[in-house]
Amino acid sequence: VTALPAADSVYFDAGAETMSRQELDALQWSLLEEMLPHAYEHAPLVRATWNAAGVTPRDVRSMDDLRERVPFVSKDAIRRFRDERGDPFGGLLAVPLEELTAVMSTSGTTGDPTLVPEQWGRGRGPAALARDFWGMGVRPGDHVSLVLFTFRGPTYGFVQGMGGVPLLFDFKPDEMRRLAEASLEYRPTGLYNFGSALIHAMAEACDAAGLDPTDVFASYRGVVFAGEPLGRRSRAVAEAWGVELFEHTGVGDAMYAFECSRHDGLHYWEDAVLVEALAPDGDAPVPDGERAELVATTLFNRVAPLVRYRSDDLVRISRERCACGRTHGRVWPIGRKGDEVVVAGRSVLPLDVWDAIEGVDACARGLFQVVRTAREADVLRLRVGYAPAWAARLGPVHDDVCGAVEAAVGVVPEVELVEDAALLRLGPPHKIPRVAAR
Amino acid sequence: VTVTGETTDAPLWGVGSYHDGTRVVAWPISQAEMDRDLRAGARVVAELGIGPGGRVLHCSMLSEAGQFWPLVVGTMLAGAQLSCADATAGEAARVAMFLRRLPYDAVLGLTPALLDGLGELRVDPAELLAGVRVVGARPGAAARLREAGLAPHDLVLCGPALAVARAPGEPARVDTDEWELDTDGDTVVVTSRRPRTRRFARTPTGARGVVVDGALVPAA
Repeated sequence: VTALPAADSVYFDAGAETMSRQELDALQWSLLEEMLPHAYEHAPLVRATWNAAGVTPRDVRSMDDLRERVPFVSKDAIRRFRDERGDPFGGLLAVPLEELTAVMSTSGTTGDPTLVPEQWGRGRGPAALARDFWGMGVRPGDHVSLVLFTFRGPTYGFVQGMGGVPLLFDFKPDEMRRLAEASLEYRPTGLYNFGSALIHAMAEACDAAGLDPTDVFASYRGVVFAGEPLGRRSRAVAEAWGVELFEHTGVGDAMYAFECSRHDGLHYWEDAVLVEALAPDGDAPVPDGERAELVATTLFNRVAPLVRYRSDDLVRISRERCACGRTHGRVWPIGRKGDEVVVAGRSVLPLDVWDAIEGVDACARGLFQVVRTAREADVLRLRVGYAPAWAARLGPVHDDVCGAVEAAVGVVPEVELVEDAALLRLGPPHKIPRVAAR
Repeated sequence: VTVTGETTDAPLWGVGSYHDGTRVVAWPISQAEMDRDLRAGARVVAELGIGPGGRVLHCSMLSEAGQFWPLVVGTMLAGAQLSCADATAGEAARVAMFLRRLPYDAVLGLTPALLDGLGELRVDPAELLAGVRVVGARPGAAARLREAGLAPHDLVLCGPALAVARAPGEPARVDTDEWELDTDGDTVVVTSRRPRTRRFARTPTGARGVVVDGALVPAA
């Protein structure tokens, strides 16, 4: 869009957000016709992978060719290329190094952070977050609270780009008192990012300051959580304050998806990414609605183009028009393929035990890890965090966790209890790796 | 000192924060103020010798964007590349990752917490930063880096103003068109010299040191 839409517009970019499936398909192919040769010519990993498969861009003349002939790229392949070739960008950099504006990084929750090369001001994709925040109810002139890290750079630009004013906070529990006070002073309409640790910290901060969280959040039209799921208990705490929660997820660093006001799946913008749903243990396409591994191809990122990136993310997807009127696909995250443990024939993912663990009072922050030494295991081993106030009553806590998990997944777990703080030290603050190798 | 009044109706760039000596408080910044600060930030980057082909790692918090965004933009305007990390112990792994994978001309904003985090990872900061020409370190971190044999530039948040030494051992300077530093005892206070959405008049900053010719020699 070249100008901001009218404030009463339902969509930020109605033409793009509601284009027909045929138009989306045609747009995707026209973008791929540009992107695939560029990726092959300039991204060393893409070129090496295609050459090994005996494929060149001339062999890919249709979407069917892409699905049948183009080889996959995985995070392991990127890291291997990086380590074996000494290429810090893992073979994905497809523009001259000197043309980059910035080198940012991924969160690193599942391992080493990887470098994210960026070229600002050129070849930008659609204004995805502006569409999402507009849909949530944020309008020009509004204040928007941002509670974030800096490792992805100046993320507040999207708020300013849609005529809003960012209120800037660190992603730390001890910022919650300040967030509460600023919310009362500036009356923001949007908040990003408000996960489980911050929700509980906000409850404590309001309690200590004598503030009513319902009043604090009265102006917000939407509050976004991202980075990891939100358990039922934390969600209930926030919703009791009158907060409407929206989920935002990154899928394998290749794409993003954001819940709309219908809260029926997370939209991914199909003018930014081509999404395929494939069998997790093979290459066959999976029908909409069934469990699949998400495979993503960028349509606009010429700097580090991921082509048929096997994300390791298990999802269900739908390409049906949403009740919100948008035509772009929706995704329902299930978990990461590499996180799955099969115990006595039962598949268990972290999300399957999340609500059960968080439902135990001592473990309300939902800090836990599945200890996974192999995909198949005789025992479900869990490392579960507890609040220090419960240190003298760990026997009952242990029994409660075991009982709740068994009720949820039908497997009696082996539980190691550790203080919340011990788990928080393991990852980026307030977000931890949900699977541990030991 | 001429203390200018508040301008209350200017379009806002954003709401950052500053430390007033006892706590962190909200700091509304107009677009016009930020435009002035961006020009000053570009001058700082140039005076640090950062230019085309360079690369700078900025270590700061999102709440400090009002003070650090001018340096970030200045880095881009200089034709150099930038990277960002939070200035916390937990981000030490990211800082180490950046510095091991790519050459950097400057690392700005190192904190004691980041050095603690590097220590937990058993990373020697002197070794990690050996090839970095400009190391900008905050109070507490600068002294530790000097003990480790490095020659950091002092970089001090003085409330809403950022003081940066242009060379190791020199006092840290703020943009004196915008800010005036003074002391109240050994505590640094700041005054705004041009119209701002929030007026500062000998506002405590939490920084400590001695002000000489408008520049800050931070307390050891």
